[in-house]
Amino acid sequence: MRMRLKLKTVFVLYFTVSLLGLIYALMQLGQRCDCRGHDMSKDQQISQLRGELQKLQEHIKTELNKKTDVPKIYVITPTYARLVQKAELTRLSHTFLHVPQLHWIVVEDAPQPTLLVTDFLAASGLTYTHLHKLTPKDRKLQEGDPSWLKPRGAEQRNEGLRWLREMGAAAEGKEAAALEEAVVYFADDDNTYSLQLFEEMRYTYRVSVWPVGLVGGMKFERPVVEDGKVVRFHTGWRPNRPFPIDMAGFAVSLRLILTSPQARFDGDAQMGFLESSFLQHLVTMDELEPKADLCTKVLVWHTRTEKPKMKREDALQKQGLGSDPDVEV
Amino acid sequence: MPKRRDILAIVLIVLPWTLLITVWHQSAIAPLLAIRKDDGTETRHETGPATDSKEYCSQDKDIVEVVRTEYVYTRPPPWSDVLPTIHVITPTYSRPVQKAELTRLANTFLHVPNLHWILVEDSQRRTPLVTRLLRETGLNYTHLNVETPRNYKLRGDTRDPRIPRGTMQRNLALRWLRETFNSNNSQTGIVYFADDDNTYSLELFEEMRSTRKVSVWPVAFVGGLRYESPKVNAAGKVYGWKTVFDPHRPFAIDMAGFAINLRLILFKPQAYFKLRGVKGGYQESSLLRELVTLSDLEPKAANCTKILVWHTRTEKPVLVNEGKKGFTDPNVEI
Repeated sequence: MRMRLKLKTVFVLYFTVSLLGLIYALMQLGQRCDCRGHDMSKDQQISQLRGELQKLQEHIKTELNKKTDVPKIYVITPTYARLVQKAELTRLSHTFLHVPQLHWIVVEDAPQPTLLVTDFLAASGLTYTHLHKLTPKDRKLQEGDPSWLKPRGAEQRNEGLRWLREMGAAAEGKEAAALEEAVVYFADDDNTYSLQLFEEMRYTYRVSVWPVGLVGGMKFERPVVEDGKVVRFHTGWRPNRPFPIDMAGFAVSLRLILTSPQARFDGDAQMGFLESSFLQHLVTMDELEPKADLCTKVLVWHTRTEKPKMKREDALQKQGLGSDPDVEV
Repeated sequence: MPKRRDILAIVLIVLPWTLLITVWHQSAIAPLLAIRKDDGTETRHETGPATDSKEYCSQDKDIVEVVRTEYVYTRPPPWSDVLPTIHVITPTYSRPVQKAELTRLANTFLHVPNLHWILVEDSQRRTPLVTRLLRETGLNYTHLNVETPRNYKLRGDTRDPRIPRGTMQRNLALRWLRETFNSNNSQTGIVYFADDDNTYSLELFEEMRSTRKVSVWPVAFVGGLRYESPKVNAAGKVYGWKTVFDPHRPFAIDMAGFAINLRLILFKPQAYFKLRGVKGGYQESSLLRELVTLSDLEPKAANCTKILVWHTRTEKPVLVNEGKKGFTDPNVEI
């Protein structure tokens, strides 16, 4: 009898404890958290806010740096001074800041590095290399020229390639091994890139390709894939080019670039043949690796930014009343 | 034959645990159901769930993180209990560059802590493109829509604007804020109108976070100038506008050049952007004059000497090769 009684008490105790625990848990779930701010002195508040902000920014950086075992992406961006340059580079950097193991190679079309770009890159928080290469006058677009008249950025991209090859030759041991896995992408400063694009291109053996939106006079251009291989290109403009693909539509493995020292962009190439002038030294069409769901998704757009209207500014400057040139725009 | 007592004992042991597990399971599933329900509704003046946005989002994030693949988007910074929320109101409309614009805008916003994106579509229904995009970013957002009536829409001819574009959408967002936050007057929040084609620096958002009433700063590429800016005197007060285009407007400033404290929006519930009869360039004034006077304005960006926002405009893409019937697969989303 005694034994049974003891067991009964144990059960009752257990049941009560569990029930209390359950009620407690239910109450916890039902509660909304109370986020009312307290009354603090202004200085305290400001320093607390500053601390919060720093904490959050550190958190972002450490999250990104954690991923060190993925192949590096070297992004080559030619750029040139014009009104919207800083804006373009700013929003581009915001995209790149999300991509782990990205190394940005910015090549200015200038005789020397400009202060604007130097300061900008230093404050960007990105890993970068700042180069410059002036386009020779006869190849440069003049003021009134339409944008399609001469291919742009060839010299700057070649300069980027030169730097990569120099770095490749000097690298040893672990560094050299890492370079074997790396990928090179040519990103113009006015296009729009989704974050998924960079993960698609990260594992490229030779040359990987994907669709590009808003280019070639169409909603998108893309390689046509059959049985996992690229068989032709769907484009509305000159489809008979060796590689009728936009600069933003392919990435090349660094290994391939280092082993093909003659591959470069031909600045004298006909309009639309710039990409072909480079790729034909590197791959044939059937060697291309299709990405973005076998080239059915658009992950990059060939956006272009309008030239801002400066009529009033020009008029003011004629009167000597232009806006403060010391204010960087 | 097991005794009745034994059965009772077993039930008493198992029951609390099953109840506990069911309750935990429920709490994880309920918010997910709430999201699904939203997509089904079709009313014209769609309002988001009227819950405390912070809680809604933190639960949502946990589930979304489990469901989506790892590489799509980096999570926004963790929500802070201390920083004021920045409510960014963006009107948007369907056109070929829409997805690109919203993508790069989202890439910027993902760096800003405590940002709540209120995206208002100019459409009859919330489109799948925008719905999907918002969900995949992982941002804290509210998705609304209201269609500008056709005879009010800006026709390509800018000589005859009816309702300036985005007005009804911005007003809907203001109304949503007033409906969502009316009870608790100690809500800390800042309201900013961000068009989907401009460019914003990250510093801008930290400058506006300390707004007490209305803060202002320079904007690049507006008014036909390199930049327009408020005029600030030695005492740090705004006394005029450095613009060429009608500097005598009450507030000669672009939509991207000011931010308003949420408390002020809630305190003056009648203040909206004027819909009709607004002269070009006076839209901002139609709202601001109901909220503040010139002397109340707080200059930011180093006393309005730095450019932290650019009024960029994206070229309309040339789609001539699509032809009349369309050359590309219409099922591929751009």
